[in-house]
Amino acid sequence: MTALRTGQVLLMLAGLIAWALQFLLIYGATSTLCGREWADATFLGLGVVQASILIATVTALAATAAAFAWSLRGYRSAEARPVSAADRFMVQSAALVNGFSLIVILWQGIPAFILPACA
Amino acid sequence: MLSCALALASCSGVQSALDPAGGDALRIYWLAVIMTVGATLIFFAVTGLLLYAIFAPPERRAWLGGRNTIVYGGLAFPIVVLSMLLPYGLIVMRDTDVRMPGALPIEVVGEQYWWRVRYPGEDERPAFSTANEIVIPVGRPIAVSVTAADVIHSFWIPNFGGKIDMIPGRVNSLNFTAERPGIYRGVCAEFCGDQHARMAFDVVALEPSAFEAWRTNQAKPAPEPDLPQLVRGRELFRTGGCGSCHVVRGTEANGLFGPDLTHVGSRRTIGAGQFPNNVGTLAGWIANTQHIKPGVRMPSYGSFTGEDLRALAGYLESLK
Ligand code: HEC
Ligand SMILES: [Cu+2]
Repeated sequence: MTALRTGQVLLMLAGLIAWALQFLLIYGATSTLCGREWADATFLGLGVVQASILIATVTALAATAAAFAWSLRGYRSAEARPVSAADRFMVQSAALVNGFSLIVILWQGIPAFILPACA
Repeated sequence: MLSCALALASCSGVQSALDPAGGDALRIYWLAVIMTVGATLIFFAVTGLLLYAIFAPPERRAWLGGRNTIVYGGLAFPIVVLSMLLPYGLIVMRDTDVRMPGALPIEVVGEQYWWRVRYPGEDERPAFSTANEIVIPVGRPIAVSVTAADVIHSFWIPNFGGKIDMIPGRVNSLNFTAERPGIYRGVCAEFCGDQHARMAFDVVALEPSAFEAWRTNQAKPAPEPDLPQLVRGRELFRTGGCGSCHVVRGTEANGLFGPDLTHVGSRRTIGAGQFPNNVGTLAGWIANTQHIKPGVRMPSYGSFTGEDLRALAGYLESLK
């Protein structure tokens, strides 16, 4: 794989990787905090479980937003000049996948602010 | 209701999730209606478009493959729908089965194939046991703790809320509030053996004052029989060995294996919701237990004479 392809693939997966890490952090933090009965502790006025989910979600969203912006730029420049079909596919997919990742990361964070932390 | 028209069946009923009689059941009902109706509409819309794509002339169906159709119909629509359903579902989950302060505690144990029910003492009101019937006051939150004695059962009163598994060695809880007086029916919702389908119970929702009266009466020992026939029935109960499995408080019958019969005559049904409760069905049950509910943990007592059976059943029926 050329360096260009490797970069394209990584960019395409950036949002999914951020989602996976957010997933890991949320589940890890929730079960650890609830299991150790720290559910009632607070951090900056927010329950620790909610605070960790908020931090994980905001970080993942920021990283994915950057990847999304980056992939949109690639998409626009690919529109502007003639590129191979494979390259076109890669840049289009990257924009789509990163866009979707933004939504699922948001979905993943929502329950923390509706349900009790350790239900 | 639309769903009633669709089902072409009576939606009001003593055992119907389509006739909610409490807030929790109502929330679950609306969730089900919205999901079912929404999914049906989307299914028909997509099927219609599919048929259109197959049968319409090419120039008329071209828009289906256009960018706008894909972006709005294929991306934006599902994202918006799911983004609304997710918080809605979570809110239903949050507001359902919530333990409320001041709730009336009731303990229920699932056994093959009946329900042991215990009302713990509250303030000066003493604890007592009953079986196969749950009586609740309207308007006061109820906190049911459930477990099982043998295999896994599941406790479900469709008119009031969701199901909760009854697992040996583990106590689960279910919280709901009855908002409408009436008679309802609960069932075992987890296959638990041969007679699983004959494992039901009555739920009687009473006005608070009637509930208090019921509770006071249930806590009392069994009434003394006042007729010679009933005295004879009690004697047969004793000599028949029924007391080795059944409790009748106020007598020497103290067996804990089967249902508490102290006030069996006050219950609406016998055999875990199988028959209306009267002298005839009681006699039939005692003589033909294994025929009525094969495999049940009580032997048939086929050797009583008809007269003895009537006396025995009459005694049980008098235990109001
Ligand atoms: C081996 C224990 C055992 C003995 C002995 C026994 N029973 Fe039972 N009985 C049970 C069990 C268990 C049930 C619950 C059956 C079911 O699954 O519905 C039951 C149920 C009943 C019920 C129905 C209660 C209700 O609320 O639905 C009556 C009435 C009853 N027994 C009467 C008697 C009488 C009368 C005798 C004596 C002639 C007797 N039993 C002897 C175990 C016993
Ligand atoms: Cu059962």
